[in-house]
Amino acid sequence: MNPAFVTMTLFLLAGLLFLAPLLPAFVELHRKRDAQPLDVIQQYGGDIRHFAHGFRRFAMRFQSELQQCVASGTTARGSLPNGDDYVLLGLADDSFFLPATKKDLTWPSIVAAGVDLVLPDGLTFAKEIYAAGNLTGGARSTFRAILGEKSVHLQRASSVIRWAHAAHLLRAEQDCHLYGRISSDREIQLQSGCVFQRVNAPLIISGFSDARAGALAPQHSNAVHDLPVPLPPGRTLYDGDLEIRAGEVVAGSIVTRGKLHIGSGARILGSAKSNAHMTVESGASVEGSLVSGTTMHVGTNCRIGGPVLAERGMVIESGTHCGSASMPTTVGTLTIELEEGVLVFGTIWARNEGRVVRRA
Amino acid sequence: MVDCLLGIVLIISVYTARHYLFTLNRLFGFQRHPYIDTDSANWPPVTILVAAHNEEKVVSNILSALMSVNYPQNKMLVVPVNDRSTDRTRAIVDGYVQKHPGRIRPFHRTGGKPGKAAALKDAMEFVDTEVILIFDADYIPGSGLIRQLVAPFFDPEVGGVMGRVVPLNVGTNLLTRLLDLERSGGYQVDQQARMNLHLVPQHGGTVAGVRRSALREIGGWNDNALTEDTDLTYRLLLNGWQTVYQNRSECYEEVPETWPVRIKQIMRWAKGHNQALAAYGFRLLFGRHRATWRERIDGTLLLGVYAMAPITLIGWVLALAAFYEGVAPLYGLVALLTFTAYAATGNFAAFFEIAAAVRLDYTRQRICLLPYLILGFGVSIFSVSRASISQLLAPITGAQFHWDKTERFRGNP
Repeated sequence: MNPAFVTMTLFLLAGLLFLAPLLPAFVELHRKRDAQPLDVIQQYGGDIRHFAHGFRRFAMRFQSELQQCVASGTTARGSLPNGDDYVLLGLADDSFFLPATKKDLTWPSIVAAGVDLVLPDGLTFAKEIYAAGNLTGGARSTFRAILGEKSVHLQRASSVIRWAHAAHLLRAEQDCHLYGRISSDREIQLQSGCVFQRVNAPLIISGFSDARAGALAPQHSNAVHDLPVPLPPGRTLYDGDLEIRAGEVVAGSIVTRGKLHIGSGARILGSAKSNAHMTVESGASVEGSLVSGTTMHVGTNCRIGGPVLAERGMVIESGTHCGSASMPTTVGTLTIELEEGVLVFGTIWARNEGRVVRRA
Repeated sequence: MVDCLLGIVLIISVYTARHYLFTLNRLFGFQRHPYIDTDSANWPPVTILVAAHNEEKVVSNILSALMSVNYPQNKMLVVPVNDRSTDRTRAIVDGYVQKHPGRIRPFHRTGGKPGKAAALKDAMEFVDTEVILIFDADYIPGSGLIRQLVAPFFDPEVGGVMGRVVPLNVGTNLLTRLLDLERSGGYQVDQQARMNLHLVPQHGGTVAGVRRSALREIGGWNDNALTEDTDLTYRLLLNGWQTVYQNRSECYEEVPETWPVRIKQIMRWAKGHNQALAAYGFRLLFGRHRATWRERIDGTLLLGVYAMAPITLIGWVLALAAFYEGVAPLYGLVALLTFTAYAATGNFAAFFEIAAAVRLDYTRQRICLLPYLILGFGVSIFSVSRASISQLLAPITGAQFHWDKTERFRGNP
């Protein structure tokens, strides 16, 4: 074989192999199929009520027809341009849904009720529900999403798949599963066994409603101030573990590279951070935030003023208050266990799972 | 010669391993976002410094964006730091001050030392809040960004915070597309992995924040620093303050659209980084301070990233010389290390990192441009080497550092 031919062929093949990975690059450079900036959300500020607000705007299109149904005490049905069916209820009659309970237990259309609505047990609502009045769900029901302009009462072992919002009280009975965003403009009550992820309201109560009395009663001596107080700047850094003795008062913030143990009745006038497990004994108070690099255990009747954050998980025992009416806060981690009787003013965000457990 | 070459190969191998560690951590490790869920709080007062030197093309965009963020209005003050501008920046800023009374307090700096650090240092007289955020004028913050950047300061260990930079003018030309890929790799993988592994996320000096008491404790802004952000990162670290990275706190920026502008930018970064390496490198690694061992090692490697460019070039020259001199037998361990060095200089590790970042960003076609990164890599290695060598020779040549403003392209036809 001609050596020149072989050499040329070799060079050509080598050149082709070199150019091969550049060809898709060349095509992309000229066609610009993926040349848009990454999608950075500019306007959405992470509001938990984002979908509820959107659905309320959507529900406005039904309002005049819904009012007519209420005035005449009738129901109406229709279809949206996208093919979704809807039903407008102008009367309080849970027998309306009974045919569904005898068939496949799934209600397929959007429901908009102009009056108080009581739903039967065991149904799955595949589309959103809008309730202009109070809404009482049936036990063991499953809801895609709920917007209640008054109170929403979820009966035992119900599930919310995407979101639920109540303008007044949102109460979930035992063993409800609340996935996605759960919010209220006033108050949320979660009974024991409830599982949740992201919850927001001016007041969130786990467990018995008698805890609410504690929230509204005059603050205990160890309570954080209810008015914003500037926290002392700076902090003291400890390289190992640290124990704050029972009853001790710490003026300022503390950071430990190891574990942190805050004794019973101790008071920290700043914030506290541990890079390992943190334990807060009963009756302790922290004016600022509590932050743990791993896990956290907050005992009974503690008062925490600022955000309560743990990177892996936390347990909060009964009688503890996080935030206050005038100073909302966030309790956030991957896995949260709340005993009955915990009060949070603001947001609870459990990335994996939050659960309300019975008082020990 | 061979010992020197082996030393270089060893250093390059360490960086290669680091790239792989970061990428694998981002793909399979536990991801830390400890503050991002903080959405209810008694939000503290915040001052937002907007560094602006001849920014008439872009300054109105950021001021408009800041006026519409969801942070409580009565707790947020915007301070445009108009640093000796000779264009219409002052008039534009004053227009916004009139339009939004009480929400913007301009600082029109007409003289003094050049440079962003010096301007920020002078602007501190306008700051009386514990939390300070800093933006360059070409950035466009979204509605929820200010809350996201403030939230980490509820942690008393946090002295600095850094958000993610996302190029806006991606589709302009090959350079902007390559910079888009580089930014993805740098933030989506590098910064977040350092956050995940409790290493040293770098303060970027924009889309960023600093705690005033921490800044005061470390002596304020260092106006001799060529890159005040790197300088800040290391002084915070040496004093036991953490800088944290928030990958989900994204903000648009404008990247250079021409190679000369890009070269000037990266040369300035290289000089600043090298300056910080000289100032803090030894002390960080061996000194008595609060940094952990993993922070010491990662921080030193981070300081050395720009020094790696001339080291790699020297390695290439030594490798060629050794080969032609016949002094480097290419077998056994030497062959293995040589292969690793090749992988790093061709930089498969960095390519892997960027490819992983593109995947994590859920983008698809832009990964096709990956082979072109060799072009950006080539330009960078020679530009950075040139900057490093001129910096080394500066005491002999007497060359002074000259501040070059990064040219803006927004609004250009």
